[in-house]
Amino acid sequence: MTERWFPDEMPMPAASAETVGWWEAAADHRLVVQRCTDCGRTRHPPGPVCPRCRSSSSEWSATPGTGTVYTYTVVRQAFIPSLRDKIPYVVVVVELDGAQGARIVSNLVDVEPEEVTVGMPVEVVWEDMGPELAVPRFRPAAAVPASAGATASAGARTSAGGDGGRR
Amino acid sequence: MTSMASRRGRRAVIAGVATSDYPHLPHLSEHAVHGQAADRALADAGLTFADVDGFATTGFFPMYATGVAEYLGLHPIYFDETNSGGSSFEVLVEHAAYAVECGAVDVVLVTYGSVQLTQMGRRLGTGGGGGGFAPGPAIYDALWGNTLVGNYAMAARRHMHEFGTTPEQLAAVAVTMRRHAASNPQAQERAPITVDDVVSSRLVADPLHKLDCCVISDGGGACVVTTEERAADLPRDPIYVLGAAHATTHHLNLSAMPSLTVSPAAQCGPVAFARAGITPADVDVAQLYDSFTITVVLTVEDLGFCAKGEGGAFVENGGLEVGGRLPTNTDGGGLSACHPGMRGMFLIVEAVRQLRGEGGATQVPDARIAVAHGTGGMLSTGATLVLGREAP
Repeated sequence: MTERWFPDEMPMPAASAETVGWWEAAADHRLVVQRCTDCGRTRHPPGPVCPRCRSSSSEWSATPGTGTVYTYTVVRQAFIPSLRDKIPYVVVVVELDGAQGARIVSNLVDVEPEEVTVGMPVEVVWEDMGPELAVPRFRPAAAVPASAGATASAGARTSAGGDGGRR
Repeated sequence: MTSMASRRGRRAVIAGVATSDYPHLPHLSEHAVHGQAADRALADAGLTFADVDGFATTGFFPMYATGVAEYLGLHPIYFDETNSGGSSFEVLVEHAAYAVECGAVDVVLVTYGSVQLTQMGRRLGTGGGGGGFAPGPAIYDALWGNTLVGNYAMAARRHMHEFGTTPEQLAAVAVTMRRHAASNPQAQERAPITVDDVVSSRLVADPLHKLDCCVISDGGGACVVTTEERAADLPRDPIYVLGAAHATTHHLNLSAMPSLTVSPAAQCGPVAFARAGITPADVDVAQLYDSFTITVVLTVEDLGFCAKGEGGAFVENGGLEVGGRLPTNTDGGGLSACHPGMRGMFLIVEAVRQLRGEGGATQVPDARIAVAHGTGGMLSTGATLVLGREAP
C-alpha cells in the first residue's frame, strides 16, 4: 500500500473487455502482460487480437515487476492544473523483464529527476486507488543479485486468466 | 508499381496555393480562416468556387469537412476529411491527386484553418494526456501526467542514448528555422537565436527546452489540386505531384511504438520516392514537420537524407539552411513561423512557392524537386509528398 501519488483529478482506470484481466491482476499487485497463446508474442497495452498472428487467444503472463528505463522525460510544465504541485515529475517507458521486451509507460517515483538514466534498473511500486484498483508505478530497484532476472523469467509463465476470463 | 503520374494520362498538379493571414487572428473564426485561404488559393489558380467539384479538409470533430463545405457554399461530389494529425494535409493532397487522376473529379480544393492560439492560448503547447475519462486502452496513456511534448522528449532522450545526439544538435534545428523566419515578415518569431539561447531556455520536458518546441498560432492555408490538362490554360505554372505515400506505426501509446527512434517516415518516405522515381539526393528543398526539433532529426534520417543516428550531425552547422546540405523549412517552419496545430498545409504551400521561384530571400536556387513531409500524433503517422516543377 502506498499513498496516492497523483491528485484525485487524474482519470480513474476504466477497464474494457480486453483490459479487465490486467486490472484484476493489478489489484492483486501482480504486473502482467498479455501473451498470445498461439504464437507466444507479448503485447502492451492489451488488445483483442495478436498483432503478429491475429489470434484472439491470450493469457495474462506474470512478470517479475522489474525492468529497465528504456527512455524517460521530466515533466516540468504541467497541463492539468492539479499537477502543478507535482512538477517536476518523471514519465518513463520501462522495458519489462520477463516480457520479451514489452514496454509500459508509467512514472518513476522516489527518485530525483537528475538521477534518472536510460538503462537504470527499476521495480514496480503499487499505488492503491481504491479497494479493487491499483496502478503500477516504478522506483529505482533495490540492489538485485545478478541471478534475479533469470529466476524471474522462469517464473513468468503463470497464467492469470486470459481469453477465457470474464468478458 | 505504376507511378501515380501515368494513370490514364491525367497527371495531378497543384495549380494554386495560399496561406491565410497568420499568426494571430483574434478577429476571425476558424471557418473564416478557411474562407480566406480558399479565396486566395483559388485566385492564385485562376479558378472560382464554381470550378470546384471536390473538397478536402480536416479538423477535430466528425463531419468537419461538410461543415466547412457548407460555410464555403460548396456542394462537392468528392470530399475527404481523413485525420492523421499533423500529416493530414499531405494525406488529403495525396488522396486528391488520386481522385483527379482517376477522373472522379477535376478540381479539388484543400483547405486548413485554425484559431488555436486565440481559442486555447498557450496551454496547448504541453497539452494532451491526463484529465477526464479515458476508456479502454487509452487509459494506459492517461494515468501518468504525460504530455504531448513529453512523448517527443522521450524519443529525443532515446535518440541521445542510442546515437549520442546532443542538445546542441537539436538546438541547431531551431536556430536554422529562426534564421529562415527572419526573412518571413509574417513569422511569429523573427528575432535571431543561438544554440546557446535554445539550450539555456527553460526545460519543458527534458531534454526539450522551450525553444525546442513549436510556436502556437492561428492560421491556415489552401491549395488547389487538378490535372495537368485542366491547368494548361491557367495562369500559374503547374507543380506536379510526382509521388506520395503515408504510414502509421501506432496510435498514441509509446509502449506500442516499435522503436522510439524510427518514425513512420522510414516506411512512407522510400515508397513516395520510388513512386516519384527519385532518390533523396534529387531533393532540392524540404519542408519537414517541425513540431519539435527532434521531429526534424528523426525525419531527415528516416527519409534517407542521412543514415540512422547521423541526424544530429546532419542538422548542425547550418545543414538545413539555404545553401546547406538540405535547405529545410524556408518559411521558418512551425518552430518560428506558424504552427496552428496541424501545420501540414504550410509545408505544401511553401514547397510549391519554392518550386515556382517565389521563395524570396530564402529561395533555393533553381529548386526543381521538393519534399513535404508531415508527422502526426505521437510520431504515430507520417505522410510524404514529392512535388516537382517539371512533368515526370
